[in-house]
Amino acid sequence: MTEILVTTRDGTETALAFTPSMSLMQTICDGGIDELAAICGGVCSCATCHVYIADEFLEGLPAMSEDEDALLDGVPYRTANSRLSCQIRLTDENNGMRVIIAEDE
Amino acid sequence: MTTLSPEKRDYFADLAICREPYQYFSDMLKIGPVVQMESTDALMVTGYNECIEVLRNHKDFSSYNSSVGAGYPLPFVPEGSDISEQMEANKDKMPHGELLVNQDGMRHSELRSLMNPLFTPSRLKANEAFIKEYAAEVVKDAVSKGSGEMVNEIATPFVTMVVADLLGVPVEDRAKFRAVIDSAPRPGSMTEDSNTEEFTGPLEYMARFFAEYIIDRRNSPRDDVLTKLATITYPDGKLPELKDLVTLAGTIFGAGQDTSAKLLSTSMRYLVENQELQGQLRANPDLIPAFIEEVLRLEGPTKATFRLARRDSTIGGVEVPAGKRIVVALAAGNRDPERWENPHEFQMGRRRAQEHLSFSRGAHACAGAPLARAEIRMILEEFLAQTSAIELSEYHHGPAEDRNIEYDASFFIRGLSSLHVNFTPA
Repeated sequence: MTEILVTTRDGTETALAFTPSMSLMQTICDGGIDELAAICGGVCSCATCHVYIADEFLEGLPAMSEDEDALLDGVPYRTANSRLSCQIRLTDENNGMRVIIAEDE
Repeated sequence: MTTLSPEKRDYFADLAICREPYQYFSDMLKIGPVVQMESTDALMVTGYNECIEVLRNHKDFSSYNSSVGAGYPLPFVPEGSDISEQMEANKDKMPHGELLVNQDGMRHSELRSLMNPLFTPSRLKANEAFIKEYAAEVVKDAVSKGSGEMVNEIATPFVTMVVADLLGVPVEDRAKFRAVIDSAPRPGSMTEDSNTEEFTGPLEYMARFFAEYIIDRRNSPRDDVLTKLATITYPDGKLPELKDLVTLAGTIFGAGQDTSAKLLSTSMRYLVENQELQGQLRANPDLIPAFIEEVLRLEGPTKATFRLARRDSTIGGVEVPAGKRIVVALAAGNRDPERWENPHEFQMGRRRAQEHLSFSRGAHACAGAPLARAEIRMILEEFLAQTSAIELSEYHHGPAEDRNIEYDASFFIRGLSSLHVNFTPA
């Protein structure tokens, strides 16, 4: 079984099983974590699915598109670990990945 | 006349609810955020948080009946605490079961992954040059005539051509598509039967064209949108089946039609009924996006969406048995006083205004929302720039104290049937 470890804003870490090829955003929402508003439903237009990816997993992820980069420029609390979770399709390689839900505005 | 308590009224057939939906939703919300309806064995969810709870939980709440509505009887008698197997066994008895809006889980996720790239900001930017030019042309033509009818004469052709451009439909075929769409019954109609096979007529007609386009582009790729659509792959690199792409293209074409046209006409109604607001936006077009968000919240084109409880579950603490049909009253959540201060008031620039439910939420959230926002903004910019005044036609709609404005008889669309306006050129 493949899983990711998600830390919510209160600092709690939860292990969530995932199906490869599902998006990280959908996996987090389906896992019952309601801290991601994910308003646009995955079309990379709202930046309400902002997460931080642990350093050691960042490089293995698909490159950030210009759209994602531009949207992240508009969010508060962007860091070098910021990604929009709707733009990440999970693969077996992401097993064990640690993800933190970003601060809200 | 006896006044029925709201839970006794028939949401799916009562035309008075259509005319005054917001009073009805507000009355239902006063009973509670989750209410059992009496005319149909369905729950109506009216609370903002409760709507989101249902929309985000697609494991317990299926989109099985999303396109036909919660008033449509299930083709089986639900048994037990999980009806997944019954749903699957009877799927072919549900109308338009192949549509994206009715899919769940992995099947939905896969199809969405094909569609999402079409609506990203950079993709829309490529489309914006056309929208701007075409909006300018449409508005110039309308203003030169001095008057026009917004819904059918202006908005519908406009949004149809915008989607046609987005999908790369060759110019010579666009008019044919429109003619077929124009003659189809409206979704969720209370007066025409839209749940027959005929409803899929326009989609089937367009499907033939899309099948030809996709086969052609797969054989001889060009540098166009249809080639991108024809060669797009699933996340695992697999090439989709032709029929999946065809259904998807048809869905995009169909989904953006009525709703966007209604949003444009409703926006125009707010502007003609409030000349001060119209002047404010004309003087400062940067306010148009905030204006559109507030129109979406107060009077978005989709009043409700529908789900089916797949398993025993709860909504807002209320127990929901498997097999229960659910009306997710988006328009009610958009005016829930728990979430929105003075919910019935028009207030441009509300904080986190985009959190309204008019584009739904969760896995099925409207993919075309960015396109809708862009196309409506651009044509409104043109209307305001090319006129010094736009007024409601009293000849058609009567004087202010006795307005005659009709809305479509639909249980999921909130939209004007027609809106005649007069233009004074700038």
